[in-house]
Amino acid sequence: MAAAKQLLPTKNKSGFYEIRMESIGGLGANLAGKILAEAGVLGMGLNGVNFASYGSEKKGTPVKSFVRFSEPDFEIRSNSPVEEPHILVIFHEKMITTHVLTQGVGKDGIVIVNTSRTPDQMRDALRLYAGTVICVDAIRIAVEEKVKLNTTLLGTIAKASGFVDKDALKSAIAETFKKKYPQIIDANIRAFERGYSEFTGKTFAPDGRYEYVPFSRSVPDLGYENAPIGGVILNPGNSVQKDLSASRTGHIPLFIKDKCTSCGECEITCPDYCFVWESGVDKHGRPKRILLGIDYQFCKGCMKCVEICKFDALKKDIEASFDVGAITVKHREFALK
Amino acid sequence: MGNDQSAKTAGRQPLPQMFGLLSGNEMAALAAKHINFHIMGYYPITPSTEVAENLDEMKAFGEHDIRMIPGDGEHGAAGICYGATLGGGRVFNATSANGFLFSLEQYPVQSGTRFPMLLNLVTRAVSGPLDIKGDHSDLYMALNTGWIILLARSPQAVYDMNIMAVKIGESKDVRLPVIVAYDGFFTSHQKRRVSFFTDKQFVQEFIGKYEPPYTALDPEHPITFGPYMNDPDLINNKKQLSLAMDAAYARLPEVFSQYASISGREYHLLETYRMEDAEYALFILNSSYDTAKDAVDDLRKQGKKVGIVSPGVIRPFPYREVASTFRHVKGLCVADRADSYGANGGNMTLEIKAALKDDPDNRTRVISRIYGLGGKEFFIEDAVKLLEEAIAAGDGKQVKLFEYHGINPGTPGYGMKTAISPVGRTDVTGQVSAQVDQQTGRVTDVKGVNAQLLSMVPKRVVPGHGACPGCGIFSNLNIFFKGIEGDVVVLFHTGCGEVVTSGYPYSSHRITYIHNLFQNGAPTLSGLVEMMEEKIKRGELPQDKRITFVMVSGDGGMDIGMGPAIGTALKGHRLILLEYDNEGYMNTGDQLSFSTPLGHDTSTSHAGPYQKGKRTHHKDTAQIMAACHVPYVATVAESNYSDMIKKARKAQEYSREGFVYIKALSLCPLSWRSEEQIGERIIATAVDSCFFPLYEVDHGKTKITYDPELKGKKVPVIEWLKLMGKTKHLTKPENKDIVEAFQKEVDRRWLRIKAMHESPYL
Repeated sequence: MAAAKQLLPTKNKSGFYEIRMESIGGLGANLAGKILAEAGVLGMGLNGVNFASYGSEKKGTPVKSFVRFSEPDFEIRSNSPVEEPHILVIFHEKMITTHVLTQGVGKDGIVIVNTSRTPDQMRDALRLYAGTVICVDAIRIAVEEKVKLNTTLLGTIAKASGFVDKDALKSAIAETFKKKYPQIIDANIRAFERGYSEFTGKTFAPDGRYEYVPFSRSVPDLGYENAPIGGVILNPGNSVQKDLSASRTGHIPLFIKDKCTSCGECEITCPDYCFVWESGVDKHGRPKRILLGIDYQFCKGCMKCVEICKFDALKKDIEASFDVGAITVKHREFALK
Repeated sequence: MGNDQSAKTAGRQPLPQMFGLLSGNEMAALAAKHINFHIMGYYPITPSTEVAENLDEMKAFGEHDIRMIPGDGEHGAAGICYGATLGGGRVFNATSANGFLFSLEQYPVQSGTRFPMLLNLVTRAVSGPLDIKGDHSDLYMALNTGWIILLARSPQAVYDMNIMAVKIGESKDVRLPVIVAYDGFFTSHQKRRVSFFTDKQFVQEFIGKYEPPYTALDPEHPITFGPYMNDPDLINNKKQLSLAMDAAYARLPEVFSQYASISGREYHLLETYRMEDAEYALFILNSSYDTAKDAVDDLRKQGKKVGIVSPGVIRPFPYREVASTFRHVKGLCVADRADSYGANGGNMTLEIKAALKDDPDNRTRVISRIYGLGGKEFFIEDAVKLLEEAIAAGDGKQVKLFEYHGINPGTPGYGMKTAISPVGRTDVTGQVSAQVDQQTGRVTDVKGVNAQLLSMVPKRVVPGHGACPGCGIFSNLNIFFKGIEGDVVVLFHTGCGEVVTSGYPYSSHRITYIHNLFQNGAPTLSGLVEMMEEKIKRGELPQDKRITFVMVSGDGGMDIGMGPAIGTALKGHRLILLEYDNEGYMNTGDQLSFSTPLGHDTSTSHAGPYQKGKRTHHKDTAQIMAACHVPYVATVAESNYSDMIKKARKAQEYSREGFVYIKALSLCPLSWRSEEQIGERIIATAVDSCFFPLYEVDHGKTKITYDPELKGKKVPVIEWLKLMGKTKHLTKPENKDIVEAFQKEVDRRWLRIKAMHESPYL
């Protein structure tokens, strides 16, 4: 076996080449992991495993997908998540503001980001210690090809890895869609090809600009000595501490106050309770409510409010065109005690 | 896919196989397809659900003949399976955790009357609090059911064990049902390189023909199944079962060996790794075994003589192999992924200690560690630590005999940031008022519904919940609660609404909230209502204490929970049952519920060349509840929010008198595969098509509260179906007959409601 040709360019001490994809539920990271693993195992003869972070992941919440490859005859034993990936793929740029994604990425690591920014900008945004940053505008390519962005990113992964066989991946893509969605194979292959070639990359040495961030397994603050007995939560409504803005996929509902009549229908339709009001009086001295704006911390971008507004006071717009922090109106009702 | 060149031969050349990259659940489904069971009775529960989903999809593409029958709960599914086995065919099921416990009483029936079948138990933590991830607390509940229990520690083993299980269970001297248990998520969801037979005929030949000694489908030979059997007979029936287990113990190695000869993969009663000269060992079940191998290799490099043992079967328990394997082991750590609370060791610890006690020469020091509960990850370092404790124990050092491994005391001094102020009683009083006729007690009018002014009603459910974008549950809750005054206590049964609002340590509930399991919400809340009333009666609570109790159901909870809900209604418990009907089991990934309409595509009613979506019409829960003759039943929709708010206020009034049922048609953009933005329009179209008529039944009198015909807005159902991905196939000409049948049923039900509206007697 020692004489067998090595298919992987590099391996960690456990004998694996590892990929971690960080995404938002609904963008197709899970499927990307499956296709990549199938290309490696069934197409290239590697041994491999693919799995995702488990739980009640809903659309719009963070998810991780893992692929672990080894040489063909190497037994894969570990079933734990990838902590120090050779390739880290970030499906949604917005996630970097709410999550530290680059944990465990070393100087030989490759970080692929779906972004229109440059590698230099991304390195700073990620506060990346070192490694290669590859930027691909996957969302633009996906929109142009009318597909999900996962196949574009697979193209970039194939090229960046230096070993994943392009044809094996294309076959795996075709195989995945052929049973139920044969009509979208060609567009996905085109997106894949563009992802394979349309990117910019740059390698950064450990220049001391940013610290290496090791992977840390989070330990909760509540444990068996201090958690209330019986698993109760004694803090009503404490979910208001959560920031859900990474659930949006590029668009926001924009509030145009001049057009608003404070009819209240947006408030009725909004599933995420984002509309912020204040009380006042009308010209007859009767109580009146005035809509002040949107608390974007909770807005997941469903746009139901845009659809329901009869007065064009809400419009779907590109999130990147605005400083969302500046146009947010914070909920005062939910101030923490 | 390619030919598996690596399969090792055991005696003769294995039969042709191919490679795949598949998960444990996919392998269970593939094995079932190759076995070609007659019947699968099932009910979805994470993480086992994919087994039925995969089989349903294969069925839609004509890949097998298994008749797939969804139960109304796991208890019903187990009943379907039992009945099917009485017919003398091959039967299959898959479940997990509370699903297994809900159906627990059926398993001794299956084994005690000696009807073989196969159940995949995809192991998961048993609830209280609810946890969907993997441990063995469900598996240990199976130990005393009289079923053979095989363990599969990898997706490959899932396939192999399923095939062998059929042969073992059906052996003439055995005739017992078999569980194949594998780890939820770790094994069920991880895709690994696997091999399987190229032709299902190889599997068919291996398992042979099933020849039951008797069946309930042979009227010429009438048989009484399941007699009433007291003492002195039952003990003898159980002795027969015990002998069957002994027979299985003898039969297992034979079947393992026969299977090795056709597959090249050999399984054992006990799998061992580097145990030949081991002085210290770790005993651990299923997926953790592979992880622990790396720990053994690491410690061996340091000169430590360590090894690991993992059983391939725990019923019958391989006590002879346990005794011989550990005979020369000085220190043994038994790692249990579930506790037998108060027993000073998990179940495997207790059984191993018992097995070793029978060997008078055994001197092994055994310690017990409880690990990995609720799916907590098991890393190589964990295995190293457990082996080091085995070494310490074996060397006579002082170690705890029993302890939990991997626990966290919490951060000293940590104070959870308290959140927002609770909703005060007066904060939500006086917005919406009901006019009540003092003589009849009937609500004659509801006033104060103004969307703008109602924005001042404080949110009882707050932002920060993790629902999908555009989720209908939260629009419905917000609108409904605008019509409810004063103090409220809610109960959510298991479902999306529960999961996304209460992920520990965060809660989106600003009022008191209770969770109980999927089928048991209504009885649980009725107990609380009765306690309040009794306490008021005894003077332990003030006489003017008023709380409105709202049970929130959804995600098909009115299937598994229908009986208990009807019971609660018939007993007149004073509460509101609000159902958000999203037409499927959405929290487990969009399986059909009984309210899924005809032809709709779900993950257990796939549309394909051989199957066109759901085969039956949607359940009419509102009419079922109306037939309980409760004070008030109503249907509501977010598209008609004023109507909903008025009905909420009425519901609250009438809930002081008895049971009230409200049903909202609730968006699920994810599983309906619809655009989030047009959600409100989708609901409005469902209402305008009369698929979901808005009406109320107030003390038996039906009243349509929004009539699309009168408004000139009625549209054919196809206009609604066009808006969703799950019904896209119905827009094609070849499915016209399904749409026609659906339209006909919708029209029939609408005309019936109209007739009821017009008559004071209907």
